[in-house]
Amino acid sequence: MDAAFLDELEKIVGLDGLVRETGELLTYASDGLVRLRERPAVAVLPDTLDQVQRVVRLCHRARVPFVARGQGTGLSGGALPHPDGVLIVMTRLNRVLDVDIPNRRITVEPGVVNLEVTRQVAAAGYYYAPDPSSQVICSIGGNVAENSGGAHCLKYGFTVHHVLGVQAVLADGELVHLGGAALDSPGLDLLGVLVGSEGTLAVVTKVTLRLLRRPEAVQTLLAAFDSTDAAGNAVSDIIAAGIIPAALEMMDRTTIRAAEAAVHPGFPDAEAVLIVELDGPRSEVAALFARVDSVCARHHAWGVQVARDEAQRERIWMGRKAAFAAMGRVAPNYYVQDGVIPRSRLPEVLRRIRQLAIESGLTIGNVFHAGDGNLHPLVCYDDAVEGQADLAEQVASEILTYCLDVGGSLTGEHGIGADKACHMPKMFTPVDIETMQLVRVAFDPDQLCNPGKLFPTPRLCGEVPGPYRAHPVEIAGIAERV
Amino acid sequence: MQSQSPAPDALVAEIDARVGAAVARPGSVADAIDGVVPGVVATPATAGGMAKTLAWATETGRRVVVRGGGTKLGWGPPPESVDLVLSTKGMTAVEQRHDDLTATVQAGATLAATNDVLGRHRQWLPLDSPWGDRATIGGIVAANDSGPRRQRHGAPRDLIIGMTLARADGLLAKSGGIVVKNVAGYDLARLLTGSFGCLGVILTATFKLAPVAEASRTVSVELPESARFGPFAADLLAHASTPTALELSTPPARMLIRFESVESVVVEQADQAAALGRGHGGTPVILSGEDETAAWRTHETLMFDREGTIVKLSIVPSELSATLVWLDEAAGARGLDYVAIGRAGLGVLYLGLTGPVLEQASLVTTLRERLPAGRGSATIQRADPELKALVDVWGPVGDGLRIMREVKRRFDPTGTLNPGRGPGGL
Repeated sequence: MDAAFLDELEKIVGLDGLVRETGELLTYASDGLVRLRERPAVAVLPDTLDQVQRVVRLCHRARVPFVARGQGTGLSGGALPHPDGVLIVMTRLNRVLDVDIPNRRITVEPGVVNLEVTRQVAAAGYYYAPDPSSQVICSIGGNVAENSGGAHCLKYGFTVHHVLGVQAVLADGELVHLGGAALDSPGLDLLGVLVGSEGTLAVVTKVTLRLLRRPEAVQTLLAAFDSTDAAGNAVSDIIAAGIIPAALEMMDRTTIRAAEAAVHPGFPDAEAVLIVELDGPRSEVAALFARVDSVCARHHAWGVQVARDEAQRERIWMGRKAAFAAMGRVAPNYYVQDGVIPRSRLPEVLRRIRQLAIESGLTIGNVFHAGDGNLHPLVCYDDAVEGQADLAEQVASEILTYCLDVGGSLTGEHGIGADKACHMPKMFTPVDIETMQLVRVAFDPDQLCNPGKLFPTPRLCGEVPGPYRAHPVEIAGIAERV
Repeated sequence: MQSQSPAPDALVAEIDARVGAAVARPGSVADAIDGVVPGVVATPATAGGMAKTLAWATETGRRVVVRGGGTKLGWGPPPESVDLVLSTKGMTAVEQRHDDLTATVQAGATLAATNDVLGRHRQWLPLDSPWGDRATIGGIVAANDSGPRRQRHGAPRDLIIGMTLARADGLLAKSGGIVVKNVAGYDLARLLTGSFGCLGVILTATFKLAPVAEASRTVSVELPESARFGPFAADLLAHASTPTALELSTPPARMLIRFESVESVVVEQADQAAALGRGHGGTPVILSGEDETAAWRTHETLMFDREGTIVKLSIVPSELSATLVWLDEAAGARGLDYVAIGRAGLGVLYLGLTGPVLEQASLVTTLRERLPAGRGSATIQRADPELKALVDVWGPVGDGLRIMREVKRRFDPTGTLNPGRGPGGL
């Protein structure tokens, strides 16, 4: 990288905010998708808006690509650095700027961690709804880029439903304000397309979020089933009965056993379990809970546990959230896939996945957000066995095909990123993709902002998706996967 | 590019030939938009027909306005000229996936007809925009229009999960899909929602639906003065109360609070809201059945069946009372009659104005001065061309305008779609 350019960067962020040393740069080589690694040419850690703007302006003038990164917990390589570019690490912009309880809004910098938002307002009886499993460590800026969800987005929606406004630095360094504290700002809903654009349109520097009042009551039920078909049919029937639970999660035998061995949540040894959580006014929860119970009974549920207290509720959720990490006990390696299907098609797609497991000889565990049809199949394999990694890759891709066959999606919450860019043409026509690119070039005609993500390119699509490996923070037990 | 407009009949023949079906007719006075009569009206019944008509218009340099039920054509500044009104009324299919709680609706289906279909499975598209018997899904999405129950269910942009559209160049594109959770690719469906027909023609929209609630009650509270709205709404929302609508109207000051859930819950919450209303000096009545339906119909007609100007006003909820008190004084001082209704919990209000046009212009301008960027807006949704000539219809758009113009230029380089009429003059 050009020495004069580096000097300019240093003038902006100071020696303290500049990372040039090769070893240190390796820290930033990947996000949560660790199989994709790329060392950035340089990394900067700005701590003010002004610094972000000046860095971006400098990049724009020199036509140097840049990638914004939060806590690096993303699972699609969305924050994968550009080898000739600047990595803008946003973690120092972590101030809470305004807490506005009367209007149920909070304004934060993008480096603020998701759970910190709730911590700021919990005493007043409020919370921030999107709850990705990494919420103890992932940052709001990354949530905005990926339109993050979580187990409770079934009822409460995703990040896009909770972001009221942003301040962002455009690719040419100009500042833009989209949305705001009041609803319905006149003009095109650029905010609606910016959220979930995976960092390809702008660098977000300030975010105003909507807060929700804590529900009066929460009730959590765990039910065992003799087949995934029965559990899947129960999911369909709950939705068809007009009940929108706060969360509706499923685990199959493989993941139940792994979770049980790892954290002993007291799950029954069944073919499938459902975790159903209802929240709202106390009497509504009570009335709907009885109905969920009877739907489960109709599908011959057994071993039903109703959380008596917060401790038992937490234990049920611990079992659910530990499932990914616990799969390490089942197989030395595994792929985690993120696909979506219409929730009414669960039984049939799970049957296809089971058949695929038999045919391929690989174990496939399932633990997922059943209520919104968001599958997370875990394809187990042993890297030490010749050809098994390739086979697992093919199996994971095949599962995506099943999702698309029934009208589903390539990704429900992990994003396209660098990981699935080359799968995009399986879901979208060339015209669909070109129409998305019209937005891209309107924001960033030089395509300097996080290039190589989301859109298929020959360079990316020559490569194949590789195996899942645990992220360092995951190994350290700081974060789990959803 | 055209040099001189050919006779409508010639254009009709051109369009019909392009589409391969009789879809066009000459425009008439009944089709006029702010007094401007379109040359031709085309009503293709297929996505292909829509796309071909649009491609024709773009290639021949025509100006196109898309029309559904025609309930929101008064939004935006008057058009300079309209060569073609592209009507969606030939496309009205509703495809419900009831066990999945989703539906794909063609743009020309009315909201009421859509919910008639969805209601067979006790589900609905939870929007209660005005003029639901005429307003179409395409128009509601293009305007991101909603009604009182936005308090619970949000606006179209919160419910949409997929879209197909015809681009100005006649190519068909899609975004999203039929699943409720999906982050693959840019969310063009949200970008097109509220784009007022400036970027492309919405052909179908796919939504997540809501179950029809088993029970409903509405508490109607007459309040002594409009200054009570803010504290009352804040108190309601600070309690465990979960209203699906929290709607004010003034003058006279009245709050309508709706609860929809199972019977025991709506009874309990309605009683609590009534008690809270009394605490704020109000006189509550709990309504159900036909009385409840009638109260909501009356509420809508207060604003939307009234003659005169309609201004949509967006503020932060904590400024509700101060804004209404100011409004009462400002309208009185200018000799204007007004009525205000809207979402007390969200800060989205509608203001109906009648009286001298110059005074109306002064009120809108002064109102905008009270609203710093990002803290609110006032847009004119219906007005005489005389008022539209005095005041910018949309008001300040903010520093995002530059990118909005770029998006418009990329999607519609020939300025075919609703030129000059969109937000910020897009």
